[in-house]
Amino acid sequence: MSSSTVTMGQKKITGSLRGYLILLFLVVLSWGIFKVLTPNNFGSFNNMLSYFQASLIASVGAVGFYFVMVMGMFDFSIGANIMLSAIVGCVFATKFGLGYIGLVLGALLCGCLVGLFNGSFYVKLRIPSMIVTTGLALIYEAVANYIAGGVEQTLPADLRMFGQMPGDIVLAVAAFIVAYVFLNYTKIGTYTYAIGSNEFVAKNMGINVNKYKVLAFILSGGFLGIMAVLTISYGSSMVAVTGMASMSRNFVPTMGCFFGIAFKKYGIPLQAIIIGEFIINIIFFGFIALGAPTAIQDVITGFALLIIITVTSKIKKGEIVK
Amino acid sequence: MSEIRLQVNNLCKSFGITKAVQNVSFTINKGEVHALIGENGSGKSTLTNMLTGIYSIDSGTFVLDGEEIHPKNQVDANDHGVSIIVQELGTLSGLTVAENIFLGHEDRFVKFGIKNTKQMIKEANELLERYGFDRIKAQRMIDDYNFEDRKLVEIVKATYFDPKIVVIDETTTALSQEGRNELYKVMDRIRESGNTIIFISHDLQEVLERSDTITILRDGVYIDTVKSKDVTEEDLKRLMVGREVTGDYYRSDYGSVISDEVVLSVKDVSVPGLLSNLNFELHKGEILGFGGLSESGMHEVGKAIFGASYDREGTVKLADGTEINDIPTAIRHSIAYTSKDRDNESVVLNQSIMDNICLPSLDELSDKRHMLHDKKLRSFADKFAKEMSVKMVNVDQFVSDLSGGNKQKVVLARWIGKDSDIVVLDSPTRGIDIKVKQDIYQLMDRMRKDGKSIIMISEELMELIGMCDRIIIMKDGMISGQIERHETLDENNLITMMV
Repeated sequence: MSSSTVTMGQKKITGSLRGYLILLFLVVLSWGIFKVLTPNNFGSFNNMLSYFQASLIASVGAVGFYFVMVMGMFDFSIGANIMLSAIVGCVFATKFGLGYIGLVLGALLCGCLVGLFNGSFYVKLRIPSMIVTTGLALIYEAVANYIAGGVEQTLPADLRMFGQMPGDIVLAVAAFIVAYVFLNYTKIGTYTYAIGSNEFVAKNMGINVNKYKVLAFILSGGFLGIMAVLTISYGSSMVAVTGMASMSRNFVPTMGCFFGIAFKKYGIPLQAIIIGEFIINIIFFGFIALGAPTAIQDVITGFALLIIITVTSKIKKGEIVK
Repeated sequence: MSEIRLQVNNLCKSFGITKAVQNVSFTINKGEVHALIGENGSGKSTLTNMLTGIYSIDSGTFVLDGEEIHPKNQVDANDHGVSIIVQELGTLSGLTVAENIFLGHEDRFVKFGIKNTKQMIKEANELLERYGFDRIKAQRMIDDYNFEDRKLVEIVKATYFDPKIVVIDETTTALSQEGRNELYKVMDRIRESGNTIIFISHDLQEVLERSDTITILRDGVYIDTVKSKDVTEEDLKRLMVGREVTGDYYRSDYGSVISDEVVLSVKDVSVPGLLSNLNFELHKGEILGFGGLSESGMHEVGKAIFGASYDREGTVKLADGTEINDIPTAIRHSIAYTSKDRDNESVVLNQSIMDNICLPSLDELSDKRHMLHDKKLRSFADKFAKEMSVKMVNVDQFVSDLSGGNKQKVVLARWIGKDSDIVVLDSPTRGIDIKVKQDIYQLMDRMRKDGKSIIMISEELMELIGMCDRIIIMKDGMISGQIERHETLDENNLITMMV
């Protein structure tokens, strides 16, 4: 008996190597295009390092969000969570005088709490996660605004270790390791994929589906909390916006997560998220180097990312995409 | 006297107003293969689903080795020593083979919250080797394997922990002969170890050969328990249906002249990796059979004709010259298709019987302003559901609530309603009881006589021999032989062309 239903006998390079090669090609391609267009002020080694450093911020949030997305759920409150967690962390660090511990723990716990709310409301109300998280995002924005007292929250220079090398790298790498361990070496990882594959069968296998859905939101929230630490440390301050303005922060982590979903079949989802965010940043900084107007930047970035995901996903013909 | 393993006491289960299992009581002994038979909708799967925690019990009890059990889910049932191999696919995509085998039982590999993946893979590979399935690698994704290999993984998953009772629910129909032999070996091992198998199958010959005891259910009610050696196939049919099953099971005519009129011609059709250079013609009023081993490419033939194959090359042409390259064109030109994978490719499970039957006929059912009227849809669905004797409360019932055979009847009702001229039936009697099988064979015969043309794809050689005017045998994606209908034709004639 054959071990595959389709084309057999073709020798192929291993899945993960193929995935890495595609990602490497995309990095080189995006770098190459902008290097040709603007050779003097883009793409030096130091430039690339700083693009990578900047991309780590969103990568941390995206690896957490991946747990939610793989289960087939969505979260529109990512931006609100980052904003609220950053403000809570900043308040803990400065107003309560807790320093770095307050910053990290405050943001982390706040992120987890937001995740807990998202997950609990989702499983209790039994309405789509998109709707629940959109509604809750409005509330988180309002809470952030209330805590900030309507003023910009600034992190003093002596508390911004995570906004530069090596602090940011250490924190991000620690987060990646934790995500990798959760995904590959705990039951949560296995159940994440099981629930995403077939919730009904997963339930019949004794998996407490609701519990693991809530856990996925909490995990995601925790990573977004760490992303909030990196964000406020890198940018030095955070403004509590309202009226769903926080949604603009959803885009980059979500796109990184799409890279993870697209490269899941190669067995390197988390690595794809990290490199994917790097590619997004190369494109972003490339446009800045070109001096392109923001509207043009957004249009081309949006198209470029859709093309990359479409090409790399290579959905089988006939496969259902929702 | 044999020791009792399981007592089923006054078991009841209803879905809405449908009484699926009514006050059923019987016992099952240790070290026996106990078959559970009955028509579709007789309550076999509902009963075993309650035993394995998939459904809750309304009333009654299961007593296993003297202790009452109430499994909450499959893992809980496993912990009580009961497991199940289901009819449809029971493995999960996105997980490795090892993760699938130990799903729900990972705790033994977890220390301080961290899973020892290496150990899990090692143990899974050892199990696969012990079962003789070592071509399946535990570290690989389950998605890398085909339906049959995934079923073998399920067999390992359901039996590796030495359960007291293994339920094998209509699994053999999903397997090729090779896969069935693997399953039979596992069944023998379980019986020899003193454990028990509850074996559900519609193949009565297989039931008589493989089981020691047989319990018969009808319409959710217990009918009888008999020893396999004391009964014949005819006895079982009578007990299942409640009357003598008379008349010919298959067609009885031989030597009928097939019309020269070609309604469909298939020329140089290839599908990469699946079909190679396929050429044949289908005539008016003909039943053309396709047989072969499961992976011979025969199942792709149906899809290729219906325009559902991707990357298909070559032409599929109707008598008027219309080329069929996609599904809408096929349906528009009166071609119908029922897939082997009923649940995923033929019925819309979470829609009503009415929606399922009316789906391809909505254009004909809409009024001049393209509006649909509930009354018209209902009467259309009701007419064809009744014509196919679908066991249902009414046409508003969800298809997901129906048994396998009744789902198949809904699929057929849909295409009869559409009045299709060319009907492609892939494994039309898979997992279907004797009565429904007979209904389907009679329906095919009627359609043939009405001038409809049928392509029947089946792994059941006897039904191909019994029903088809011509049989094409596939091997490695190509036609390996063709044989005409004849009284002396037997399975051996076909097997030599298949292997």
